[in-house]
Amino acid sequence: MRKGEREIHVDSMGLLFARIMTISTIIGVVLMVIPSIIYFIGQNQYVPLTEAYKYWDKPTVQFWSHVKGIHIHGYDWVFSNLQYSDCQSMIGVLLLMITPLLSMFAAILKAPKVFKLLLGLAAVEFIISMMVKGA
Amino acid sequence: MLDLGWAFWPLVLFVFTLVIGIISPVSGVGGGVLYVPLATVLTPFNVDFIRGAGLVMAVTSALSSVPYLIRIGLANIRLFAVIAPIMVITSVVGGIVGLWITNAFPNGEDYIKILLGVVILIVFFIMMVSKRVEFPEVKDEDVDSWSKKLDIVGAWYEPSLRRVVEYKIKNLPLAIVTFGVIGFIAGMFGLGAGWANVPVLNLIMGAPIKVATATSMFIITANAPAIGIYLSKGAILPVIVVPSILGITIGARIGAKIAEIIRPTFVRWLVIGILFLAGILNIIKGLQGLGVIPLILPGG
Repeated sequence: MRKGEREIHVDSMGLLFARIMTISTIIGVVLMVIPSIIYFIGQNQYVPLTEAYKYWDKPTVQFWSHVKGIHIHGYDWVFSNLQYSDCQSMIGVLLLMITPLLSMFAAILKAPKVFKLLLGLAAVEFIISMMVKGA
Repeated sequence: MLDLGWAFWPLVLFVFTLVIGIISPVSGVGGGVLYVPLATVLTPFNVDFIRGAGLVMAVTSALSSVPYLIRIGLANIRLFAVIAPIMVITSVVGGIVGLWITNAFPNGEDYIKILLGVVILIVFFIMMVSKRVEFPEVKDEDVDSWSKKLDIVGAWYEPSLRRVVEYKIKNLPLAIVTFGVIGFIAGMFGLGAGWANVPVLNLIMGAPIKVATATSMFIITANAPAIGIYLSKGAILPVIVVPSILGITIGARIGAKIAEIIRPTFVRWLVIGILFLAGILNIIKGLQGLGVIPLILPGG
């Protein structure tokens, strides 16, 4: 609370949620940006930038077919190629994606009963959603 | 050494998102809703990659601001806990449908551009007609039974009034259905959802405008699983996402300072005009891609 502001009540589950979200977001952005800088200076590229440049106007299926000769489905292309800087930066994106989930898990610890259920439901849906690999 | 051949468009994207980042806090319009339609028309990147970057950008912006908004009482975790289970599912279904249309039909990309244009024109219409209510009055008898049982109330210190403002909400069941539809559209086009969340929270649920704006940012974080759909289809490329996120983050900091001195009404109307133009341009590009109209705009 800054000087001049009045005391207000904020749910303790909200405060814990906020704390975890702050930490996870900072780590996620750092993990995304640093490998990208390495990627942009031309080191360890899974998708060479000169190739990406030729085909980034194509839909995803055609792009990957031209650039790597593969069909992307799921997260394997990230985890199987973690030696490459562009795939490493996707770990940061993945962390950003699960940041609300981590925050929900934390908030459940301090939530009233009905909100434990609601946040738990949202968390389960979140996990199911991440497991869905698309149509 | 950087080859400006590939570096040109990421640099353009950085400058472009920097400008959007400056405009967003001044106008109150989220970055995603400007980014996706304009980048689709102005850059050579395929709409799949733009939607993926737009979603990562919208979620990252929300993740960065929500913790502070929770701490000062403006973002309400009780509202989030009710709305998130609906939006998580519908935003993912929207993401799947959007990518399926693009890839399953020979002219899927053109259909997406036309749909995007139509959605943008609807956003334009909502922004034209909706009037924000700073402190809506919600009487005890207006509060629905769900909101009462869940004790969805809150308070924050309002500097302009120099006092703590308390609020309660109404129409929760209707709002839940509306948020389901919003989640689908946000996931499908990678738009973010602030443009629709704020009117629902403010006008339907009776949340004060500052609470509506802050809680809208909170709800946008529930769209995060839709990132997985784009990532699992290879539609997130660092060369597009990183310049966009850096641009909008730096721009938003500049915009927050400018917002204190500039007339927001002028910028708001400027953004409404840009949205109208973006909607029309997307529809034209989609129609010319389908061969319905002759070639008017470059780039198919």
